[in-house]
Amino acid sequence: MKILLMGNPNVGKSAIFNRLAGTKVMESNYPGTTVDYIKGYMRLENKDIEIIDVPGTFSLEPKDKAEEVAVRMLKENKDSVIVCVIDSTKLERGLYLALEIIEEGYPVIIALNMWDIAKDKNIWIDIEKLENILGVPVVATVAVSGEGIKELVSKIKEASPVNIERIVERAGGLEK
Amino acid sequence: MRKKLSEMNYGEEGIVKSIEESLRNKVAGIGIRVGTKLKMATKQPIKGPVVVTIDRYSISLGLGIADKIIVEVEE
Repeated sequence: MKILLMGNPNVGKSAIFNRLAGTKVMESNYPGTTVDYIKGYMRLENKDIEIIDVPGTFSLEPKDKAEEVAVRMLKENKDSVIVCVIDSTKLERGLYLALEIIEEGYPVIIALNMWDIAKDKNIWIDIEKLENILGVPVVATVAVSGEGIKELVSKIKEASPVNIERIVERAGGLEK
Repeated sequence: MRKKLSEMNYGEEGIVKSIEESLRNKVAGIGIRVGTKLKMATKQPIKGPVVVTIDRYSISLGLGIADKIIVEVEE
C-alpha cells in the first residue's frame, strides 16, 4: 500500500506531506511548486508506508507537465489510498477532483486544509454531512500548525472505494 | 443579454450559458460549468487575461478561453 497526496495546486499538499513524513520539503506561496513528485515514508500501525507528494492538478485530464505527472502517478499506483487535500475556501473545485478520483475506484480520504483561513472568511463546512454524502472520511486540517493531522492519520485506514452512483443518489440526484 | 465572458465589464455578474465543447472538461476542474455564477473582477490590458470571481475565490482565464464562454448578464 502507498499513500498519494493529491489535490489542486497550492492547497498545502506539501505542507501535509511534511507533517506526515516528518521531512522538510520546500514550500512556497506560488502554485505549482511541486512539478515532480516527492517520496517519503510514514509510520502507520507499526509499518513504514510510502507516501508520495503528487503535483497539483485540477482534474484527471492533464493540461500541462505537472498535471501529466499527477495523473500518471495515480494510474501507476492502483493499490494506493488517496489523501485528497482540499483548500477549504475553494471547496467546490477541490471536490471536482476528489469525485474524479473516487470515480476511478480509489479509496479516498479528504483533508479540508486551511480550515483556519476558511473560518476567518466565515466559511463553514458541514463535515458530517459531507462525509454522509460522499461516504469517505473527511477531516479538517491546518497543515502549518499541525491541527487535524493526527485525526487524518488515524482515519487513513477507514478510506475505502465508494460507488459514485451512490454519491449521486445521496446528493439528491443529477440536475435536470 | 448574452455575451462572451471576455466582453463582460468590470463588476458585471453573469451566469454561464454555454462553453465550447473542446473546453468543457478543461474549465470544469477550475469550477466553471454551465450554470456557474461569476463576476468580472479584473481585465488586464493588451489582450491580457481576465480574472473572474466564483463563490469567494478568483480564477484567471486567458482571453482565448474567455472568448469561448458565453454568459447571460443582467441588464
